[in-house]
Amino acid sequence: MQDARVRLGCAALLSVAAFFNIACALAVFLWWLIFTPRMRSVRNRKLVLVMLALIGIIAVMITISGGDGFSYFMRMGVIVLIGSWLYAEQEPGDFLSVVVWACGKRRGFELGMIGECAMQIAESLSYDFVRIQTAMKLKNRSSGIKNLVPTGLMLIHDALVRADEITELLAVRGYNGGGTICPVFRITKKDYFAGICAICVLLFLVIPVSEFFILHS
Amino acid sequence: MKLVLEEIMAVRGTWSLLACGTFSQGIHLISGNVGSGKSTLALLMANLFSPSRGRVERDGIKTLMLSTQFPEFHITGLSVTEECASWGLNPDIIIPSAGLEISGDVSPFSLSRGELKRLHLACVLGRQYDLLLLDEPFSSLDCAEKERLCSELNSRTQGITVIFTHEQSVFPRVDQLWEIADQRLIDLGKMPGAIEQWQNAPALIKKLISTGRCPANLTPSDILEASCRTHG
Repeated sequence: MQDARVRLGCAALLSVAAFFNIACALAVFLWWLIFTPRMRSVRNRKLVLVMLALIGIIAVMITISGGDGFSYFMRMGVIVLIGSWLYAEQEPGDFLSVVVWACGKRRGFELGMIGECAMQIAESLSYDFVRIQTAMKLKNRSSGIKNLVPTGLMLIHDALVRADEITELLAVRGYNGGGTICPVFRITKKDYFAGICAICVLLFLVIPVSEFFILHS
Repeated sequence: MKLVLEEIMAVRGTWSLLACGTFSQGIHLISGNVGSGKSTLALLMANLFSPSRGRVERDGIKTLMLSTQFPEFHITGLSVTEECASWGLNPDIIIPSAGLEISGDVSPFSLSRGELKRLHLACVLGRQYDLLLLDEPFSSLDCAEKERLCSELNSRTQGITVIFTHEQSVFPRVDQLWEIADQRLIDLGKMPGAIEQWQNAPALIKKLISTGRCPANLTPSDILEASCRTHG
């Protein structure tokens, strides 16, 4: 998908739709099968599997406590797939361009920049995680549950240090709010079609289709 | 005890490195320009990078440590005390041995790069390893600290120590010299004969060789002795 606006819009609409009920989640899954490169769009399969496993544990707990764990697993699983696709297709500057296009060069620029920084830090977190695992391996320390808390603390610490450095860098460069970029988007026929289909999936959620059919039966 | 590289090929994108050779006990110096593949070779020897071809054989090596050129890569503790403890070392001994006058409660990230490097090297050298891989150990150190590190390395009498560096001025006593050139690891041989084969030798050493005053080794005293040597 070429156009970052359509991509972000689709991801937002589909995530909301998938969260609400299992029928919509199935429709979103169908959309994912048609409009994305499917498993090729999952950049970090191990991470996705870990996330699905965590969702699975929560789903089992919901089932045990009398809820619909299966529905929860399906809905959240589809959201993870949409998130993975968005993450894989995202290029640096996409989010900034979209938010400036939507909200203007003052608030839009600041929101976009915060989003870009957050994504950059998210990327660094996975790098830091590998780095800490390697350091622990070299020190002959297991990277099991025992070291999960120190690892988490290190990751938070690293993220805060990095955020501090970015702030200093912006201050040094004279940033005091807002900015100007001229985003350029390239939209294709496939983008239009995928966007319209995503809106249809959301309409499927909003319009009480079943009642409509009952009225006419 | 030995480390054998059997027809190793490391590949990163379009770049590749061929390595073959045996590292026995003693201090080995692998020199090479920035980007020549020293760090990749160090990772490969530490079993943290898989070769595309060949294999690394570690004969009799039970413990190994890789010190990467960025000391912050090794931090797993939130305070200097925790960091020393993560290496199984006593901070009351390590902090002074690194020449630092700091509290153990401070975050290792609050130290300057040079201080952190000193702390890291003190932790690395605080234990004995059968295979010690030091990737750019002299970076971020001033001349006095480089010399102190060299004297600590010179006191290592057991195990295999491999130093990967593009350092040009301060070296420890070296047993065997290697060079990475044209995407190959070249064994230049034992000292002092290896020095004459060294293509990318530091300018001072090249000058000494060209005037027929090849130093016996690479330590500052060896270089000084060769510089002051008179013919005839």
